[in-house]
Amino acid sequence: MSDAFWQSVDLSTFWEYRQVLLAGLWFNVYVFACSATVALAVGLAAALLRVNRSWPFRWIGTVHVELFRNAPDYIMVVWVHFVLPLLLGALIGRRLEIHPFVSAVIALGFVYSGYFAETFRAGIQAIPVGHVEAARACGMADRLILRRIILPQVVRRMLPEAVNQFVSLFKATTIVSLIAVPDLMYQVSMVIATEMRPLPLYTGAALTYFAVIYFVATGVRLLSERWRNKIYA
Amino acid sequence: MSNWERLVWNQQGVLLQGLGVTVEVCLIAFAVAITGGLTLCLIRTYFPPLRFAAIVLIEFFRATPIFVQLVWIAYVWPELFGWPNSFFTAGWLALGLQSSGYLAETFRAGIEGVARGHREAGYSVGMSPLLVFQRIVMPQAVLTVSPSIVNQFTVIVKSSTLISVITVQDLMFQAMKLVNVWYEPIEILTVTAGIYIVMVFLVSTAGKMLADLLRRRYGLAAA
Repeated sequence: MSDAFWQSVDLSTFWEYRQVLLAGLWFNVYVFACSATVALAVGLAAALLRVNRSWPFRWIGTVHVELFRNAPDYIMVVWVHFVLPLLLGALIGRRLEIHPFVSAVIALGFVYSGYFAETFRAGIQAIPVGHVEAARACGMADRLILRRIILPQVVRRMLPEAVNQFVSLFKATTIVSLIAVPDLMYQVSMVIATEMRPLPLYTGAALTYFAVIYFVATGVRLLSERWRNKIYA
Repeated sequence: MSNWERLVWNQQGVLLQGLGVTVEVCLIAFAVAITGGLTLCLIRTYFPPLRFAAIVLIEFFRATPIFVQLVWIAYVWPELFGWPNSFFTAGWLALGLQSSGYLAETFRAGIEGVARGHREAGYSVGMSPLLVFQRIVMPQAVLTVSPSIVNQFTVIVKSSTLISVITVQDLMFQAMKLVNVWYEPIEILTVTAGIYIVMVFLVSTAGKMLADLLRRRYGLAAA
C-alpha cells in the first residue's frame, strides 16, 4: 500500500515526458479557444432568436437551447464524429472525412452554445426597456441599438456566469482524447501504453488539470470582477 | 426504415439493460453527492480544525475534469487505497465525488443565505445552536437550494456517459458496442443521443417546476 502510494506521488515519469504532455495541454487550450469562439457566436445568434418578436424564430431558438443544453457532451462529440460525416456525405453524394479536431470543436461549440445562449438571453432581458426605447426615440436603428446599447451592458452582466461556463468548457475539452485528438489525456494514455506505469501519470494529469483550471479560473474571476467594478463605479 | 428496426428496435433489450445501469449509477452517485456535499459543507462551515482539508477537497473536485477524475479513481485508487474494487463502484464514486464538491458550495450558499436575524431570533428565545440549525437554518436552506440540487442531478446524468470509457456497461457502452458490431452508427447513436436528451430534459424540467412551486408557495428565489 505505501509502496503504491510512493509510486503515485513520485512524478518523475510524468516529468520525464513533460514535452509531449505540454504539447497535449496546448491542444486542450487550442480546442478550448476554437470551441469557445463557436459557442459564443452560435450562442449569441440563438439568444437573439429567443428574444425575437416573431414566434417561429423564438421557437427555433428555444429548440436549439433545449436540445444542446440537455445533451451530454460526450455523446455529442461521438455523434458529430461518427454520424455527421455520414449524413453530410449522403447529402453531397460522396465520402466525407472530418478531422477529429474539427468534430471536437463543432460538438463542444454547439453544446456550450446552448448554455451561452441562456446567459446572453438573461443579460439581454435584464436591460431596462427604457434604454431601448430611449435609443429608438433618438432614431437609432435596431442593429445600432444592439451594438451600442444592449451588447456592452450584456457583456458586463453576463461575465461572472460566462467565466463559469468557460471553465466547464475547458474541463469538457478533456473528453476529446476519446476521439483521438492528441490532448493531454490522450498523450497520458499513450505514455502509459509504453511505460506501463499508470499511477504517477494519471495522478500527474489530475494534478496538472487541477492546477491549471484552479489558478487560471481564480485569476480570471479576479480580473473580471475588477473590470466590472471599474466600469460600474 | 428497416435499418431502424434491425439496429435499434431488435436491440432494445441490450439498450434497456444499459439504460438500467445508467439509472442505477446516477441514483447511487446522486445519493453519494448529497451526503458528501452536506458533510463537506458542514465541516467547512462549523468545524474549523478540518476546514482547510474540506476546502482543498471541494476545490479539487470542482476544478478537475470529470473524465480525469474518473480514470484517476478507477485506475489509481485501487492501488492506492485498495478500493474501489470494481469499475462500477469507481463510476458512481467519481460521479458522486465530483458533484459533492459542487453541492457543498450550493449548500453553503443556502446556509449563508438564511437571514442573520432569523438565527438571532432563535438564540434569543433560548434555542441551542443545534436546535437553531435544525429548526431554523436547515429547513430554509434546503428549500432554497433544492432546485440547484436537481440541476446537479442533470450534470450527473450527463457525465455518466463517460463511465462507459472505464467499461461500465451503461447505455453509452452498449450503444458503442453495437456501433462496433455493425459499423452503422447513424441510427444507434441518434437514438441513444435522443434518449439521453429526453432524460436530462425531463429532470431539468422537474427542477424548473420545483423552483417555480417554491417561489409561488414560499416566495423564495432560487439560490
